[in-house]
Amino acid sequence: MASQTPAVVMDNGTGYSKLGFAGNDSPSFVFPTAISTKAPAGGSGGSGSGRPAVANKPSFLTGGAGPGGHLSAKRGTEDLDFFIGDEALSAAAGPGYGVHYPIRHGQIDNWDLMERFWSNSIFKYLRVEPEDHYFLLTEPPLNPPENRENTAEIMFESFNCAGLYIAVQAVLALAASWTSSKVQDRSLTGTVIDSGAGVTHVIPVAEGYVIGSSIKSVPIAGRDITNFVQSLLRDRGEPDSSLQTAERIKEEYCYVSPDIVKEFTKYDREPEDKFKKHTVTHPNGRSVTVDVGYERFLAPEIFFNPEIYSSDFLTPLPNIVDTVIQTSPIDVRRGLYKNIVLSGGSTLYKDFGRRLQRDIRHLVDARIKASEVRSGGARSGGLDVQVITHKRQRHGPWFGGSLLGQTPEFRSYCHTKAEYDEIGPSIVRRFALLGGPGST
Amino acid sequence: MLLLDYQNVLIESLLKERFAGGPPVSIDQVVSDFDGVIFHISTPESKSKILVSISIKCFPELVQYGAQAVMEREYGPYIVAPESGYDFSVQVDLDSLPEDQESKDDLVRRVSLLKRNIMAAPFEQAFDEYHHLAEEASKYTSESAPQGVQEGGETRSIHYREEEAIYVKASHDRVTVIFSTVFREETDRIFGKVFLQEFVDARRRAIQNAPQVLFQNQPPLELEKVPGVNRSGSNDIGYITFVLFPRHLTAQRRAEVISHIQTFRDYFHYHIKASKAFIHSRMRKRTADFLQVLRRARPEAEEKERKTASGRTFRVQS
Repeated sequence: MASQTPAVVMDNGTGYSKLGFAGNDSPSFVFPTAISTKAPAGGSGGSGSGRPAVANKPSFLTGGAGPGGHLSAKRGTEDLDFFIGDEALSAAAGPGYGVHYPIRHGQIDNWDLMERFWSNSIFKYLRVEPEDHYFLLTEPPLNPPENRENTAEIMFESFNCAGLYIAVQAVLALAASWTSSKVQDRSLTGTVIDSGAGVTHVIPVAEGYVIGSSIKSVPIAGRDITNFVQSLLRDRGEPDSSLQTAERIKEEYCYVSPDIVKEFTKYDREPEDKFKKHTVTHPNGRSVTVDVGYERFLAPEIFFNPEIYSSDFLTPLPNIVDTVIQTSPIDVRRGLYKNIVLSGGSTLYKDFGRRLQRDIRHLVDARIKASEVRSGGARSGGLDVQVITHKRQRHGPWFGGSLLGQTPEFRSYCHTKAEYDEIGPSIVRRFALLGGPGST
Repeated sequence: MLLLDYQNVLIESLLKERFAGGPPVSIDQVVSDFDGVIFHISTPESKSKILVSISIKCFPELVQYGAQAVMEREYGPYIVAPESGYDFSVQVDLDSLPEDQESKDDLVRRVSLLKRNIMAAPFEQAFDEYHHLAEEASKYTSESAPQGVQEGGETRSIHYREEEAIYVKASHDRVTVIFSTVFREETDRIFGKVFLQEFVDARRRAIQNAPQVLFQNQPPLELEKVPGVNRSGSNDIGYITFVLFPRHLTAQRRAEVISHIQTFRDYFHYHIKASKAFIHSRMRKRTADFLQVLRRARPEAEEKERKTASGRTFRVQS
């Protein structure tokens, strides 16, 4: 049965979960990684009669929190009373439900909730029988192997899935860049700049393996850009400066400029061309017009000149990328410079890649020149810096998973249920490198 | 979520969005549904024409049991020639949608229930046959009834999965639906047994109106003459029999009953997995609690003789 069914690709991120089937070019479902469960019975402590609960068991046996606290105290079908995704957020807006986010900083934080989240994603949204499908899950770089084992335990023991492969998001993002015309050889060496809602990571990958010691993260990402746009709107006293409006403006109008000073003069010279108007329609039918001005290029500029936004983080993104590559082993640096891949929603600004490439190249050229001077006349062969932008950046890791999951040899890379039963959870500590050398 | 949805959520949300005037984009998605069903949603000709194709394993059998008529009734003008590699296709043209919201919603609902409607054919046929037989049977007393009326109609078998099948048989006073199930996993089998026992007991205890449910490892007598039934009686195979009585077969209940019984296998497996998740959750909680106890435990402070540097000891003055 499992021979023709497409593999299921699930990319559970901190903010959003991307679910779908391998072979498609976009995920079937993208919704917040949120789960809302019945909140522990209001503030009344669970017992409706108003008197304190009588503990007839030592507290550690009843589940610590007394009645109403944990699921383990329940005997009915409360464990099925929950919502995930967008439904979770709307349920949490009403009474009785509290929303939880089972993934923190990319890593699974609450396994109970995650198990139920997966169960609902599989049965309600994807509508598949896990026995019939292979699964490709993703994990953040530097995910502890224990987390992998826990994931495998859930996937194999709860869901009996036919086979499982856990891939690192950064590696999948590299695979997704193969669709770009600039990529000639399908290598898994490169630097991934993954910028989502919460944090931006710069991850060097050599031959499909993450160089963990060189990873750097930048505390500037999508949410900060939205906040920055919002503060600019507030300063100007626009009629609508809500977070939603700021987000819309960010997504529709922002782009990266080659030089801010020149861009400012351009705005002064041809104002009618550059200044835009954004119309916000409120749910009650009223609509207001918001002017969109310098924030169009200033907002993404905080990646390159963080001092205009933050006072404690001051290193520009190109410098971070350069440092990351310089701290990596010397024999892979050339490959890392040549293949800098963007991934995630906050890298979608127009000309983001071009600006990044130019800035990194300046840094590299300056360094080469300095060393040429120091060596006294020796000529360097030069260094190729290339930033790859491609069409699948937004859901890069998911798309990479979809790409690799549809290859005929994908199944042979997976660990199957039978192998898991034979060896146990420790089997998932090692996976053969999918899409690595030797495969098509 | 106690019951599973009958419709495919992706098709539903996709069509809803497009019908509400979402931007025209080309779609090309191959998605899967329960029981190895594969949908292909695409816009092959132009961005306003959405083609939904379904591939279902037991399609020839379903056609034999009148699927074509059911589909004609449900989708009429939207049916197009099946896409190659798929069994059945409907095409919706966004430029010629029905005017009012209500019929739009109805169309979305019908298309998203594609799988349910195809699978419904044999059930509908059996229910019709039951009504026919019931009418026949009312002409006779129980002794004088001819053989055909007493025994009921043929057994319709639907091999909807590789190793599992549904059998539907109508007779003059009931419709019998039999599922054959295979469990590969020891744990699942045990969970399944407990569940099925609960189904059998539910009727005895509280819910008198529920259909009768039987569970056994040997194929029931209804399947005596059906070819290809595994009669080994091994523990891995179970036969679950639902007996639908006339009160379930009335015209107004019919659609609901068919939907429920179709999703039975998926429902069953979903709940086995949900129970495992629940047990895991309790195990994690218990482990965390025991760890807490362990952390709190300190070794008792041992009474040690204390000495000064020169070896003299202090004695407590009483």
